[in-house]
Amino acid sequence: MTALRFESVSKRYRIRSGPRSAESGLMSRLRRSNSHKADFWALQNVSFEVQEGESLGIIGHNGAGKSTVLKLLSNISTPSKGQITINGRISALLEVGSGFHPELTGRENVYLSGSILGMRRAEITSKLDSIIEFAGVRQFIDIPVKRFSSGMFVRLGFSIAAHLDPDILLLDEVLAVGDYAFQEKCKQRIAEMHRQGTTMVFISHDLNAVRSVCQRVLLLQRGEVVAQGQPDDVIRKYTETAAFHQRPQITDERRMAEVTGVVFYDALGNRTNGFKTGEAASVRIDYLVHRPIPQGSISLYFLNSDGGIAAQWTTSLSGRPINMRPGVASVEFSCDELGLQPGVYQIDATIEKSGTAEEYEWQHACASIHVDAGKTRGAFYMPHTWRETSADCAGVLESLAHTE
Amino acid sequence: MLKPRNRLRVSPSVRHAKLKVTVLMELDQEILIPPARTERPSTRPVKIIRPPSFSPAILFSGLSELFWYRDLLYTLTLHRVRVRYKQSALGLGWALVQPLAMMMVYTIIFSIFARFPSKGVPYSLFVLCGILPWNFFQTALSSSASGLVSHTSLITKVYFPREILPFSYVMAAFFDFLVACVILVTMMTWYHVGLTINVLYVVPILLVEVAFISGVGLLFSAFQVRFRDIGIAMPLILQLWMFCAPVVYSYSDVPKRFRALYMLDPMAGIVENFRRVIIQGWGADLRLLGISAAAAVIVLPLGYMYFKHREATMADVI
Repeated sequence: MTALRFESVSKRYRIRSGPRSAESGLMSRLRRSNSHKADFWALQNVSFEVQEGESLGIIGHNGAGKSTVLKLLSNISTPSKGQITINGRISALLEVGSGFHPELTGRENVYLSGSILGMRRAEITSKLDSIIEFAGVRQFIDIPVKRFSSGMFVRLGFSIAAHLDPDILLLDEVLAVGDYAFQEKCKQRIAEMHRQGTTMVFISHDLNAVRSVCQRVLLLQRGEVVAQGQPDDVIRKYTETAAFHQRPQITDERRMAEVTGVVFYDALGNRTNGFKTGEAASVRIDYLVHRPIPQGSISLYFLNSDGGIAAQWTTSLSGRPINMRPGVASVEFSCDELGLQPGVYQIDATIEKSGTAEEYEWQHACASIHVDAGKTRGAFYMPHTWRETSADCAGVLESLAHTE
Repeated sequence: MLKPRNRLRVSPSVRHAKLKVTVLMELDQEILIPPARTERPSTRPVKIIRPPSFSPAILFSGLSELFWYRDLLYTLTLHRVRVRYKQSALGLGWALVQPLAMMMVYTIIFSIFARFPSKGVPYSLFVLCGILPWNFFQTALSSSASGLVSHTSLITKVYFPREILPFSYVMAAFFDFLVACVILVTMMTWYHVGLTINVLYVVPILLVEVAFISGVGLLFSAFQVRFRDIGIAMPLILQLWMFCAPVVYSYSDVPKRFRALYMLDPMAGIVENFRRVIIQGWGADLRLLGISAAAAVIVLPLGYMYFKHREATMADVI
């Protein structure tokens, strides 16, 4: 049985040009004929189905239309064209703590937030104990949530959502709430719901999580479905498609060199775009020099999904500039232990004047890689070594003496 | 001993009993997993989302959905009432102070300074009977009109029938109105003004008022999502409107030649009749009340349809 179906769904947003604040509204509407309006299609002709009990992952770069799909599914917004059929009760774990009022107590907020999410009062009353227990806020439940720590706030919010018991569950990177133990609890809860036949739609940048949770994956690009199928196939396709969203703004006269290729290799020297945290990685950058650059340097930027620079590799690290002569050339960077955390990274390659910020070439998004979790946990990876050592006998004896 | 056991076995609550046992057992485990539904209902709601269209069908689908979410309306109303008086020393007393103060000010100005006639009852009582239904209208309308805009973050994150927001403000204002009626009862006892059977007219009068406010509130709140002008103009609208309703004076003080125009104000029929049936003990002026009722019957469905039509794109525009 089909749990939900998108039939040629399109979503258009109107972009009003010009200042929207001061002279907005009625006046500009009256002069509508003059005002210029641009349409932005966030989704175009998107069709897919999710079977009952199935879990579908939706991946794509920022701005590909993932959140729009989620908004349409949860009925926050409506499509401009097409039709969505939802078979069953749907709830979204989008933003926890939605509808919390700071002045109300935890208990009152459970009722408030629960009702907003579509629960009946009787249902909330019967689940109240379980909700409080799951959030671990038993002793604070009758004080205003404005006095809650942010962790308690988030846990209570998630706990309510986790008790919704829907037929279809929408997940949007919500697993990153609370401390580690709470995250594990959430994962267990989601796994349990899935076991019991809840249909899931999971939208995430965390490809590893998508791979472990989803049976099928949908790849969105600029509002269109470009691939769907087995998680591994679609994820590979996703990391291979370099999104050339922006051409370098370097004018032709300044363009003295250009990057022609960026290829990643694993420890064995095989081409790959997938790595694990802590593994060895290397990259070969081919470039073409038009005019001589006596003091050149080459950099590679790893951009995370928000577009922030997660890491940089650069030839300036050694301080020795490259004497670039016209013609083709290449450099190779290698790294014994990749410190990047799980995620998808876009690669920018640049050629600049050594020791300055003067760029001759900036190749945006010329490759992308995905990194899966390695053997370590934590916010970042630290290369480390270990050895077995002999016990500190003096220290042990001393502490024993103290206990006596 | 056997009998109760047997009864337990056949009682429909047996499923709950089982559920509780699982919860208790899981409590002992390190990680508590909330009990998942033991069985899935065979009939599931099927929802079809299409591009918005403006049709009377919205009315029916909207109302059935509203009925499903009725608990939310209750919870939100409760929440409004609670939040308003949280962390205030006087608490619910504020619902009394405001009409009481208005009554005193109007009595001083219009009775002691200006010597308005008050139809055989003390002016303070006379004006209070106008202030109560008017205050309800004023509070309900101004808060419900801004009800959507003040919940932007909620509207862009969760779906629920949006009309519940303005409705909850109307309900909360109605609660305040009921609390303020304590003053009316006290004063009527003090001045020995008795009730007649005509007081029963209060029920249809208040029904008409709630319906009218809800309709206007829906229109204004939906409108304010796109044009914040409503919020800015609101105090002015309400102030002017108050003098077009018989709050501080009586309907019979309005010159005959203006009456045809005057009675078109739906609030005139409501305020005037509220006073008539309570302190004057007369039957309702059915012509005036009829006009108010007609206004409510037109405004409420129209407002609802317009609101539901706009609801589809609310999250994108707000």
